[in-house]
Amino acid sequence: MSLFFRQSMTVMVKDLRSEFRSKEAINASLSFAIVILLMFSFAFDPSSDAIKEMSGGLLWIVFAFAGALILNRSFARELANDCLDALVSSPVSGAALFFGKSLANLVLLVGIEMLCFPVFGIFYGVEWWKQLDSLFLVVVLATWGLTVIGTMFSALTVNLRLRELMLPMLLYPMMIPALMAAMQLTTALISGQPLTGDAYTWLRLLIGFDIIFTALSLALVETVLVR
Amino acid sequence: MREKIMYALGAVGSALLIYNLYVILLQLPDEANQGAIYRIMFYHIPAFFTAGFCYITALVGSSMYLIKKDLYWDALAVSATEVGLAFAAINLITGSIWGRIIWGIWWAWDPRMTWALICWLVYFGYMMLRRAIDDPTERAKIASVLSIFAMVSVSITWKAIEWWRTQHPGPVLSFRTGGQKRVDSPIEHMIYQNWWALLMIAAVFLMIRMRQEQTQREIDSLRRQAHAL
Amino acid sequence: MDERNFTYMFYGFGVTWAIIAIYVMILAGREKGIQKQLESLRRILEDKK
Repeated sequence: MSLFFRQSMTVMVKDLRSEFRSKEAINASLSFAIVILLMFSFAFDPSSDAIKEMSGGLLWIVFAFAGALILNRSFARELANDCLDALVSSPVSGAALFFGKSLANLVLLVGIEMLCFPVFGIFYGVEWWKQLDSLFLVVVLATWGLTVIGTMFSALTVNLRLRELMLPMLLYPMMIPALMAAMQLTTALISGQPLTGDAYTWLRLLIGFDIIFTALSLALVETVLVR
Repeated sequence: MREKIMYALGAVGSALLIYNLYVILLQLPDEANQGAIYRIMFYHIPAFFTAGFCYITALVGSSMYLIKKDLYWDALAVSATEVGLAFAAINLITGSIWGRIIWGIWWAWDPRMTWALICWLVYFGYMMLRRAIDDPTERAKIASVLSIFAMVSVSITWKAIEWWRTQHPGPVLSFRTGGQKRVDSPIEHMIYQNWWALLMIAAVFLMIRMRQEQTQREIDSLRRQAHAL
Repeated sequence: MDERNFTYMFYGFGVTWAIIAIYVMILAGREKGIQKQLESLRRILEDKK
């Protein structure tokens, strides 16, 4: 068990280190997120009160789009020099490889999201930090759902020609329950509403979603990676 | 033998469909509030259940492929998904038309129809993924994994959407309301009867499609032979 | 029969049968393509023997 975690940590650190060296995906993802936030300001009046109701939806669409850029590279970056074959045939189990990459993606994505919140606050004049701890919990839970499925699909589509197109197309419909929950919770938390009973239902949905898909991915990833 | 079953199912299914059409249009009583449009239910509801059967069959096919690695199961999975997509399309469009009359809008974003649309998109993604992979074994493996994810995702989405207020009519068929009859008997019987007809048609489509998959595999092996000579 | 909303009922029935017919045509088209491929391959193999 601890071997699994040690292997995952190693893979996670490797991925993070390689990403921070070049910062390609982070830069692309962050700029993409800010551009989308900018474009949304033209879609509707940024100063109106209605923004508070749309904040959750808006933010999670931004996060989903920006996330796809990072998730795509997750396994794609291993294609050069047959790194993927080397990793798969190494003593690191497929599940540990997958888990490590998912954790790395989680760190990167949560980092980008937490950077987007201040930008959103500035652009749309929303005080988003009122319930920061709950907000952070929701962000991490929902992003984990996004990351786990996204990394899994990154492994699924790694050898395809139209990888960049297929990943979002396959990912987004499956993410809808988690995104729904995240949007509802984020809107509630950002507009300063206290968490009602409804909110706990959404939270349970999010946690259930994460557990189910993490288990499913860990079970199936070995099959996918081994040729 | 298989051909005979196929023809028999096709003949009985088509005959039943035509007979049902006659009964639906000419014999069944009218519904008080909706006018003629309620008769669309005789296709909308059975199409949904048929699509559901097909998707479950696809899940079985995908799981069995991952266990047995026999391409027969992969053929079952892709055929079932394709036929399921056709019947799900029928469900979506007839539902939209019915909604146009009853609710006044083509698409009401009501939870069940939204879920049906998500379902359709997920399985359409499955078909798109298959098209992007050339090697049959690799394709079967990747598609099977996706199919399992699809079924889990669709189930979770169903639960999630149930937590929203629904505009969609609640269950009316007896087995869903625990035996209480909300709908007249002849109407409910016709729904089941048409469901049998559509199921038979779906089964015939499935068998034809599976045979096409098998023939395609024969062609691939013949092609390899031809190149080798 | 109650004639209210008859047109839309007709559209609904039409869509259902149309989709079934379209799928039958797709299957038939695919079958033709497959048979053609099979024929040409068998001919090639015959010639080569």
